[in-house]
Amino acid sequence: MKKESENIIDSLEKGDYKYGFTSDIETDMIRRGLDEEVIRLISQKKQEPEWMLEWRLKAYRHWLTMRQPEWAHLDIPPIDFQDIIYYAAPKQRKSLSSIDEIDPELKRTFDKLGIPLEEQMALSGVAVDAVLDSSSVKTTFRNTLAEKGIIFCPISEAIREYPELVRRYLGSVVSYADNFYAALNSAVFSDGSFCYIPKGVRCPMELSTYFRINAQGTGQFERTLIVADEGAYVSYLEGCTAPRRDENQLHAAVVEIVVEKNGEVKYSTVQNWYPGDKEGKGGIYNFVTKRGLCHDNARLSWTQVETGSAITWKYPSCVLMGDNSVGEFYSVAMTNHFQQADTGTKMIHIGRNTRSRIVSKGISAGRSQNSYRGLVKVAAKAENARNYSQCDSLLIGDKCGAHTFPRIDCRNKSAVLEHEATTSKISEEQLFYCNQRGLGTEEAVGLIVNGYAREVLAKLPMEFAIEAQKLLSISLEGSVG
Amino acid sequence: MDNNMLLSVKNLHASVGDKEILRGINLEVKAGEVHAIMGPNGSGKSTLASVLAGSDKFTVTSGEVAYKGENLLAMPIEERARRGLFLGFQYPVEIPGVSMANFMKLAVNEKRTFEGKEPIGASEFLRMMREKSAIVELDAKLTSRAVNEGFSGGEKKKNEIFQMAMLEPSLAILDETDSGLDIDALRIVATGVTKLHRPDNATVVITHYQRLLDYIVPDVVHVLYHGRIIYSGDKSLALKLEKEGYDWLINEYKD
Amino acid sequence: MDIDKLIADGILRPFAGGSLSRTDLSRPLVVLNPRKIAIEADTSEQVRLVIVHTEPNEAAIDLSLAAGVQVTLTEICLAGTFTEVRIRQAEQSSCRIVAVQLHGANTAYRIDLAEHGAENDIAALFLATDSEHCVVNLSTNHLVSQCTSRALVKGIAAGRATGEFRGLVYVAPDAQQTDAQQQSRNIELGEGHIIAMPQLEIYADDVRCSHGATVGQLADEAIFYMRQRGLSEDDARRLQIEGFANDIVNRCDIAEIREFLATAIAEQLQKL
Repeated sequence: MKKESENIIDSLEKGDYKYGFTSDIETDMIRRGLDEEVIRLISQKKQEPEWMLEWRLKAYRHWLTMRQPEWAHLDIPPIDFQDIIYYAAPKQRKSLSSIDEIDPELKRTFDKLGIPLEEQMALSGVAVDAVLDSSSVKTTFRNTLAEKGIIFCPISEAIREYPELVRRYLGSVVSYADNFYAALNSAVFSDGSFCYIPKGVRCPMELSTYFRINAQGTGQFERTLIVADEGAYVSYLEGCTAPRRDENQLHAAVVEIVVEKNGEVKYSTVQNWYPGDKEGKGGIYNFVTKRGLCHDNARLSWTQVETGSAITWKYPSCVLMGDNSVGEFYSVAMTNHFQQADTGTKMIHIGRNTRSRIVSKGISAGRSQNSYRGLVKVAAKAENARNYSQCDSLLIGDKCGAHTFPRIDCRNKSAVLEHEATTSKISEEQLFYCNQRGLGTEEAVGLIVNGYAREVLAKLPMEFAIEAQKLLSISLEGSVG
Repeated sequence: MDNNMLLSVKNLHASVGDKEILRGINLEVKAGEVHAIMGPNGSGKSTLASVLAGSDKFTVTSGEVAYKGENLLAMPIEERARRGLFLGFQYPVEIPGVSMANFMKLAVNEKRTFEGKEPIGASEFLRMMREKSAIVELDAKLTSRAVNEGFSGGEKKKNEIFQMAMLEPSLAILDETDSGLDIDALRIVATGVTKLHRPDNATVVITHYQRLLDYIVPDVVHVLYHGRIIYSGDKSLALKLEKEGYDWLINEYKD
Repeated sequence: MDIDKLIADGILRPFAGGSLSRTDLSRPLVVLNPRKIAIEADTSEQVRLVIVHTEPNEAAIDLSLAAGVQVTLTEICLAGTFTEVRIRQAEQSSCRIVAVQLHGANTAYRIDLAEHGAENDIAALFLATDSEHCVVNLSTNHLVSQCTSRALVKGIAAGRATGEFRGLVYVAPDAQQTDAQQQSRNIELGEGHIIAMPQLEIYADDVRCSHGATVGQLADEAIFYMRQRGLSEDDARRLQIEGFANDIVNRCDIAEIREFLATAIAEQLQKL
């Protein structure tokens, strides 16, 4: 049996990253490094109003006073923030009105990514904002959405066209001073998506953003702002890939969500940035701040499947400000080879009768380190808060690590909080059983892992769930024997 | 009013959330009687027991319950208990760290205080514990342990009857006290209940099986179905149900 | 009853540290208000050890268990003491600990399961009242394979007090067949504040590790059960909290200490 598990580990290490191609697209880049001039340049390229530039500069000046956080269970090599190109965008001749006008090379890129930008979109009913490097390239279905009063566009466009909305909400959940990476993002973000669902509107289709880092030496700093006004509903999907490069690339995004009274937002992520090769060379540093604010009776649900990135530092959180608001976090985080992940959530209970639920499934293979980090906080006036957290870790092979760092902080006696965690490996009995029924070991492990993650995968919209399942199996390749 | 009347339930309706479980129960129990309530799973037997004991899991939506001529539904849980209503739990609750002796002493003295009697002395209490635990052959060691903690299924049920013996209720409602017992434990528990029976008290046993009624012979057998008592008969009904099941009755009964 | 009386009555026998191989172990040993003490448990006899803090000291306690040795340790904090207890366990040794804080204090247990087959079981309780701050730190280090650890830490924070539990189960690379469980159970009364951090850091795969933490979850069924037997709701709740605490106290293997603690806890709870 011992030998069997060694085989599993060997074969998993052969795993490959199928999104590792680069695209030969003409790119508009600015010089390397970061100073106020660079920020002015980004703001200028985006044709931003003065207030936006001021905000960026405030963020930059604050960032200069901050230090990279070191509390995570991560070994982060030094990052030279002056050796990064903070703006790179595919060159566009003019603004596009139809899909045929897109650069053919760019279109091929999206085809390779399997992003359904074309007519098939109509069938699958997903509206996509694709962000390549730093710029939104194409947002589909704008007109259909506009009929309902839904705004879904690149954030740079929103800053120009809906300044009132953006000024009201930008930085209201994640302030520019929130943390080191959020401050950096606030200073240099060059694109991302903006989404506004008006009062009482149920968004008729899934909204989706696809992120891809393409150009060499660049970082990606997108900013997403989603506002569901009173009684509105939206389900939002986010996917990400990057080319395979020997260098490490920085991705420091911010996602802010505001769910007004009686609103509901579902935010799903399938994160598959390039994780580096099996020696741990290259890969994306994924340092992301995601947080949502829930008003009365609002509901926010985060679902994430994290298989990519060399290093992940990410804690999608819910501030349950309003009475009866609900926050959820469902996560599958898989690490293989030399990947490191420190991910989890924060549930901040402030209103009365607030509820939250956390389900985290970690899978560690190869020589990777995978940590769950969570905070459940109940403020003194948060009567009747309820939280249930379940954090499981699965270890595949004896060279990896699985860690759990929850924190409960409760100041109200009416709260009922419950946290459970287990750590185990794939049982030899399960493997033997599958083998005996004729399944190969790798296939069996894939099956067992998918079963283990089922509760989370089930929360994803259908197309995403299938992709996520495949991803889990691919990411496992070469880690089982 | 009949002076012998202990319990009189009239058109009792109770729900949990939006779901109505008791849909008009009528039941009268007089001193000296033994009633059996039978019926298929989910018919509302345990709910009836819990509602009579005052559980706040259920909401009484209409109906009346008179206990010894007074409005039972207006009384808090402990007052019902102190006035002599005892519920033998289907699943007795474990209370870690609280010793049986301490718990029973408090319970006995609460009842005595309610009745205007002096609290019981330590030595008399110990004697009473010994005497009553013998009725159900409860291992004396168990009375020094925490309430129900680490007790086997059979021990928990014996412990319920032991507590019944200590508290000497006027009306005991025993909710599936026989479930999960082997034949020896069943005999001990059932004989215990019979020993405690007197002309001035009454017992309502909720059960699935006729075998318990071999020991505790009921005066009346009721069939509860879908929140209502659809049929009542004498002890021969239990035997017929054992042989033929509930289908013949249920088919006869139309909503 | 107090600890001095237990010593005067000869129920506990004072001990000043060092090797236990030549010590009379017929009665439980007691160490009162230690500052710095090293104890070598190198005997084949069962060791019963009691450490009591009645003064606000800083205390460093080193306890080392030789192969196969069995120790029960009861540590009681009755004052604002900072204590660090370091325990090293050799092959097949067994250490069962009951640690009780009845006063704002800071206790750190560092347990090294250093050789195969070592077993550790710790049951701890803190009762923080008024504006006290109780802290229990526990790190259980599985350094080699085939060791077992169990931890149950119960906390009550009442008044405006804060109770804090910081736990860590560490499983070293190659510490295979580790079996570790850690549970933290807490209740808040009044404006009490609970912080619980039960952590796992695991570098071996063939392990069974679990932890859990709860705040504010005494079963309502138990209240119903007790009221059904005639207890008032207030009494039922008080009894339940006493039971919650005594569940730890009852694990102590010295009857007089159990009685002492149960009385002290009941008195403190009565005041709330």
